[in-house]
Amino acid sequence: MKTRTGLVIGGCLLMAYAVVGATTDADLAPAGVLLFLAAVLVGHDAVWMVAVLAVGAALTRVPPRCRTTVRIAAITAAAVTVVGLPLALGFGRAADNASVLPLPYGRNLLAVLLVIAGTTLLACVSPLRRPRAADRKESERPGGGSP
Amino acid sequence: MVRHTDPPVTGPTRVLRRLTQWCLAPLPAPPAALRRGPMRPEVFRSRLRSPRLTSQLGVALGVAFGVCFITGLLSHLIQHPPGWFWWPARPVGLYRFTQGVHVATGLASIPLLGAKLWSVYPHLFSWPPARSIAHAAERAGTGVLVASALFLLVSGVLNISRWYAPMPFFFTAGHYWVAWLAVGGLLVHIGVHLPAVRAALTRPTREPRQDGLSRRGLLGGVAAASGLITLTTVGQTIRPLTGLAVLAPRHPDTGPQGLPVNRTADGAGVRATALDPAYRLRVTGPDRSVSLDLAALNGLPQYTADLPIACVEGWSATGTWTGVRLRDLIALVDADPGHSTALVESLQTGGRYRACTVAPEHVVDPLTLVALRLGGEPLHIDHGYPARLIAPNRPGVLQTKWISRITVREPR
Ligand code: HEM
Repeated sequence: MKTRTGLVIGGCLLMAYAVVGATTDADLAPAGVLLFLAAVLVGHDAVWMVAVLAVGAALTRVPPRCRTTVRIAAITAAAVTVVGLPLALGFGRAADNASVLPLPYGRNLLAVLLVIAGTTLLACVSPLRRPRAADRKESERPGGGSP
Repeated sequence: MVRHTDPPVTGPTRVLRRLTQWCLAPLPAPPAALRRGPMRPEVFRSRLRSPRLTSQLGVALGVAFGVCFITGLLSHLIQHPPGWFWWPARPVGLYRFTQGVHVATGLASIPLLGAKLWSVYPHLFSWPPARSIAHAAERAGTGVLVASALFLLVSGVLNISRWYAPMPFFFTAGHYWVAWLAVGGLLVHIGVHLPAVRAALTRPTREPRQDGLSRRGLLGGVAAASGLITLTTVGQTIRPLTGLAVLAPRHPDTGPQGLPVNRTADGAGVRATALDPAYRLRVTGPDRSVSLDLAALNGLPQYTADLPIACVEGWSATGTWTGVRLRDLIALVDADPGHSTALVESLQTGGRYRACTVAPEHVVDPLTLVALRLGGEPLHIDHGYPARLIAPNRPGVLQTKWISRITVREPR
């Protein structure tokens, strides 16, 4: 209990330090920070998560023998896209500095996604892959899988 | 509650107890008719979610954020050193390592945070929304933690992509203070959930058969995602992996003279003054000062050092620099390099990074140069022609370019 009380009190102090620091820092507009905090929270919980759940639900239609592999591939593709998309959009490019974002990121992101898709396909059709107990059971149970 | 068996309490203890009771007192439940949409029972049916999964992801994320916080704080202290802070000149590549780790760990934690938040998403719609004042406060705290964790990762990704427009604040300051907010929120969060985490991680579980993806499968998927992000980006600082770094914002040998540039001469507005034949470097000591033109600088003993430019943005690249030792310049004005601090100023007339302070550890280091050449050639103007600072174990923003003035300060 002592540890927990210490963690909670210590944590509250650090958060208070953050609030005081942010409001007294001449370099910082706290309203902008608040706006961005709210935007990422709402964007994640109301937009991103809904999309993730929709894709997850759609993936329940994938044949059971491939479902695990396809889900892992979807997670990987989503994560890589979060990193690659801002680069591919290229808003950070600078006319006077060719060393900033020097690569063709759109093409590269597509290539990485294709590699993920290709690996997934190979893993699914590979004759080495024996159906696992979980997969067999799954195929007996219609409509399994949920958001 | 059997009140009369309590020992008699007085003063502050009583106030505290009353306050606790008030915080924990059940709030009236909202009308059941409001329980709609995702708040209905059994909406989220994936049996993959479990306290064990959430705890394992939480531990991994805690470690990742801890690493980011320590390395980030270090970077902040190096750039804004308080009196007690000391930062050595060796090992040469220590900052390159710590800031490389910062950005790589932050990027690798993106799938971790995604999976963690997915695993607890149903809690967002728990019913009743607040059981007590304490429960409401705890939920608000969780909201702050989630928002600040997302803030750090999203702002970090935008920053290394140099896409500043969506951020309505100065990145470094916002990222810094929100890091404190996130770490504070994390400690509270751990304090609240510690028993549940302990139980989930120690109790052996007989896991139900999963619909397709098992807990281990999901953890494997998250690890694969982190691994792939790392593999496609970390080559911006780890040389042997450069070929794989197809999603890295920088390529260590792309740029003038084979080295990336952060701020160009045009961006800094110094092209005309840097190319002016009347250029002089003025070195001012406590008692005397000298003014050196480029020929005079070239006439001083020249040294060559292989040193990295290690950017705060997590990329780094090594160059072969040639120039005058900073300590030799300081000796020129009769100051003692071993006990001197140097203020190095650029031709830039404004801007956050127009000047930097070089601490005595770096001033005496024989590798600290006022470089005139890169790879044997005179510096490209975007690398700081006519003269720039290059010192071991320092962030790139402190390697001042287009140096116009060096002011030596000896301790009183
Ligand atoms: C994708 C994830 C992340 C990326 C790409 C990232 C990137 C960066 C960059 C580029 C800087 C240098 C800022 C500058 O000096 O101009 C920085 C500093 C910092 N980061 Fe991060 N970061 C990430 C996640 C995190 C996390 C999770 C934390 C903490 C829990 C954190 C805490 C800090 C701190 C404290 C600083 C120092 C800021 C200062 O110098 O004032 N970062 N980060």
